Amino acid sequence: MKLYTPRGVKDFLPEDAYWKYLLEQRIRKAFVRWGYQEVITPTFEFFETLNIGSTSSEQTYKFLDQEGQLLALRPDITTPIARMVTTRFINELKPLRFFYLLNVFRHDDVQVGRQREFYQAGVELIGSDSAYADAEVVALAIELFKTVGVLDFQLDIGQVDFFNGIMNGCVNSKTKADIRNALLRKDFVGLRNVINQSDLKPGTKKVLMELPRLRGRSEILDVAASLVENDVSLAALENIKAIYELLESYNVSEYVYIDLSMVKSLDYYTGMVLEGYAPNLGFTLCTGGRYDNLNVSSEYKNFATGFAMGLERLMLVLERQGHKPELIKTEILVIGPDRLRAAQYVAEQRNKGVIVEWDVLNFSLEQATEYAKAKGIKKIMVFANGAEQCISIEGGEAQC
Amino acid sequence: MLSIAVAKGRLFSSFLTILREANVLKCDSLDVDSRKLVIECPEGIRFVLAKPADVPTFVEYGAADLGVVGKDTLIEANKDVAELVDLNYGRCKMVVAVPMSLGINDIRELDFNSRVASKYPRIATEFFNRHGIQVEVIPLNGSIELGPLVGLSDAIVDITETGRTLIENGLQPITTIMESTSRLIANRVSYKIKTEQINSLVQKIEEAIK
Repeated sequence: MKLYTPRGVKDFLPEDAYWKYLLEQRIRKAFVRWGYQEVITPTFEFFETLNIGSTSSEQTYKFLDQEGQLLALRPDITTPIARMVTTRFINELKPLRFFYLLNVFRHDDVQVGRQREFYQAGVELIGSDSAYADAEVVALAIELFKTVGVLDFQLDIGQVDFFNGIMNGCVNSKTKADIRNALLRKDFVGLRNVINQSDLKPGTKKVLMELPRLRGRSEILDVAASLVENDVSLAALENIKAIYELLESYNVSEYVYIDLSMVKSLDYYTGMVLEGYAPNLGFTLCTGGRYDNLNVSSEYKNFATGFAMGLERLMLVLERQGHKPELIKTEILVIGPDRLRAAQYVAEQRNKGVIVEWDVLNFSLEQATEYAKAKGIKKIMVFANGAEQCISIEGGEAQC
Repeated sequence: MLSIAVAKGRLFSSFLTILREANVLKCDSLDVDSRKLVIECPEGIRFVLAKPADVPTFVEYGAADLGVVGKDTLIEANKDVAELVDLNYGRCKMVVAVPMSLGINDIRELDFNSRVASKYPRIATEFFNRHGIQVEVIPLNGSIELGPLVGLSDAIVDITETGRTLIENGLQPITTIMESTSRLIANRVSYKIKTEQINSLVQKIEEAIK
């Protein structure tokens, strides 16, 4: 028998499981306070349903059920929620606010804080196409970072239509794809080469060359506006400006940078996009944005925006920033042969919320002391010879 | 503080020359031949000396903010890093080469029984796939020219500057897959969080290599 696990999965030992639980509780509280409701979608669904999302088919774990239907483990939660909304909430009053704390599965290279099974905390805000909705999810992502205590984090927002507008005039689809890919990979050397070799208009070339530098606070919006003439890009700038101003009113704009060079791999995002970072971790902590065209059903158009945060990455950043909490310890170890009297005491203490371990190995006081020292238990309660005694592990009597 | 992963040797020396020309680095006492793996400079730059093929890994994981690496190695490593500047040195070609005695002049003459040795298996495989030629790529770590000499492979994919080593080993290049120069790469998050520091360095380097 193999006693090791496949690449890409991991055990959460008590310390990590407890910490994950604590983080999830804090995150859940924050989401709930903002009016979001928790949902849980199935671990596996039909592959064709999940395949419309942003994860590529090669990254999705697929398998057949006994009827020969192609199923898949969920690679993200956004698509299942869109499916759920389309079928169960189509006539519901909008907006809908959902959140989730669930594991997803992607057959991907194993990276820092990213196994092939990993946990996500995320929200979807459905039914509004306004900047209010986009600003809310950005502000909520910031709230989440603050709630769990990440230091020096930073969020970048962009707008995919800024780039789309620039490229609309480009008829050469290869040039278009090459430029998008170069931006996606942040291959600025390649970007310059493609632009120089292309037959794009001088104005378009100029703004594309400038694109990597169009990152900063709200002042870059004016710079960007002076570089483009098309309506789509200008509308995108207006949209980002509105979102940024709203973030100022949330009093969180100090954490937010605008990056107009941010593009996404698929035509999945349709408006604002966001990414979150922290020092101490070379990988993105959270991603998200507006995805109005997620094509679950032809008769329904979703306005939707949201984000997903990688829970293990969050744990890693916090650990590197010195935040990892200690595992909660047992307070009292109960031993001794008078089990009837001990039973009553154990029940009383547990009802009060005290963490009590009751001996199952017939410990002598010596054995109990050794065990308690190893486990960080401070007190031992002994029920023997009709009497009871509370002993401190450091020696002497104590109050139990 | 910026940390830069770079391979020891010629690439490191050339990069130091550029940094000195760009006035970002004095660090006169810098001993490039020392056995140290991490070298700190008072100008707030830390060099992380790694194997060339590992430079993209150090940068992807954020163990170094920046890295200097050949485009060939960068493509082969297939890591998610930002590519900032073409440093324009370390110029070389990646070629398919075969023994002269074989009399082959075109890659299409390699058949499905052909074996190709390479230190760049990803690039080689991708290249032959693109041309619909079904060869077996054998990954090697060095002395690639040895492959055809001892009958391990029929052809090789390797980098060459002048082609001299190839000729000395009785090989001739029949196709150029790509040209390569050294690149300055960055960790994607460092690029976002240390934008100003990195951009100012990039600007100075670009001025210096103009």
